[in-house]
Amino acid sequence: MDTSKPAIFVNGALLPMHVRKRVRTVIQVVGADRGAIVGKSPDDLQLVVKGSPPSAPLSNFVEVIGIADSEKSIQAEIWTNFGEVFDTHSYNQLCQLANGEYQHLFL
Amino acid sequence: MFSSSQFDATSAFSGGGFMPSQSTQLTDSTPSPAKSRNSLGVVPVTVKQISQASQSGDEKSSFVINGVDVTNVTVVGMVFDKAEKSTDVSFLIDDGTGRIGCRRWVTENFDKLEMEAVQDGMYVRVIGHLRVFQDVKQLVAFSVRPVTNFDEITFHFIDCIHSHLQNPKLQGGASTHPHMVESSMNTPVQNGQTITSNLMSKQFDVDGLRDCDQLVLDRLQQSSSIGQEKGMHMDELCQQLKLPMEKIRESIRSLEDEGLIYSTIDEFHYKAT
Repeated sequence: MDTSKPAIFVNGALLPMHVRKRVRTVIQVVGADRGAIVGKSPDDLQLVVKGSPPSAPLSNFVEVIGIADSEKSIQAEIWTNFGEVFDTHSYNQLCQLANGEYQHLFL
Repeated sequence: MFSSSQFDATSAFSGGGFMPSQSTQLTDSTPSPAKSRNSLGVVPVTVKQISQASQSGDEKSSFVINGVDVTNVTVVGMVFDKAEKSTDVSFLIDDGTGRIGCRRWVTENFDKLEMEAVQDGMYVRVIGHLRVFQDVKQLVAFSVRPVTNFDEITFHFIDCIHSHLQNPKLQGGASTHPHMVESSMNTPVQNGQTITSNLMSKQFDVDGLRDCDQLVLDRLQQSSSIGQEKGMHMDELCQQLKLPMEKIRESIRSLEDEGLIYSTIDEFHYKAT
């Protein structure tokens, strides 16, 4: 049992609070820019995801888990395709709850 | 859902040498006198919550999470280090809050087939018992199902928060409804609105149904004022107000009793008087 490496649920607004920490979020892929993937966070802010995406093509929504290396970018270690349709509104609310009063259930 | 139709208690337990005690029955059987109504069936938890769980008294098979006895839990996370052996399959589940070891005894063909579909890096929903083995907490899984609709991940964590809020201790000893908790947790939600409506309904519990009634009445009065002859369908009210159907039904019943609304073309359409 190991709880030493949690990945914190973040959206665009919460990412700056967790720079240099392990985070997770779901982005809607917008495009690519200089080898990195540009996407929209669950709260509609732009995020850049660096790292090596899997060889399979990325779906519309992708979950990335990795280290936040700046207020607007993540160095992703794990990429998971979340399909063409995803409820970003609920995910965004989950991010707020998981960082707010229910943090103790997650971190 | 899958718990009652696919799970065969005797075969799953006979291979692993675990005897199902009354408290570990998934379906809501009458609790034994020693166990209070705190045994809630399958409880959605995060690995972090499991790590904080303490063992309950003399019952080695039971744990206490947030003051509630818990045996069967459900966790949603990513599979790592899957290892297949002749009698069992072991793997790690990482849900973002921590990692826990899981073991699935493979005695029936069904178990074998289900585990073959599980691969490293895949998101799965695991349902199983919490056990301690050599001081390390483990999950003995009896259901491992790949996640296909990823809203299920969001749902699971919100469900953990919801279940945490349902905790009788938090409600100051008020009786919770184990049936309500069970029914809401085993259904992966397709529509995001249902998740938030479950959370929102918590706010209305404090003031009773009156807030809800007022919302329904306001909406119906609004619809009358814009000339909707047939009134509104209950489903529309449910969608627009983002409230659970049971609350809408209860509000409609009490508003109808008060004579503030009436049904129009059928029993699902209502209009304000």
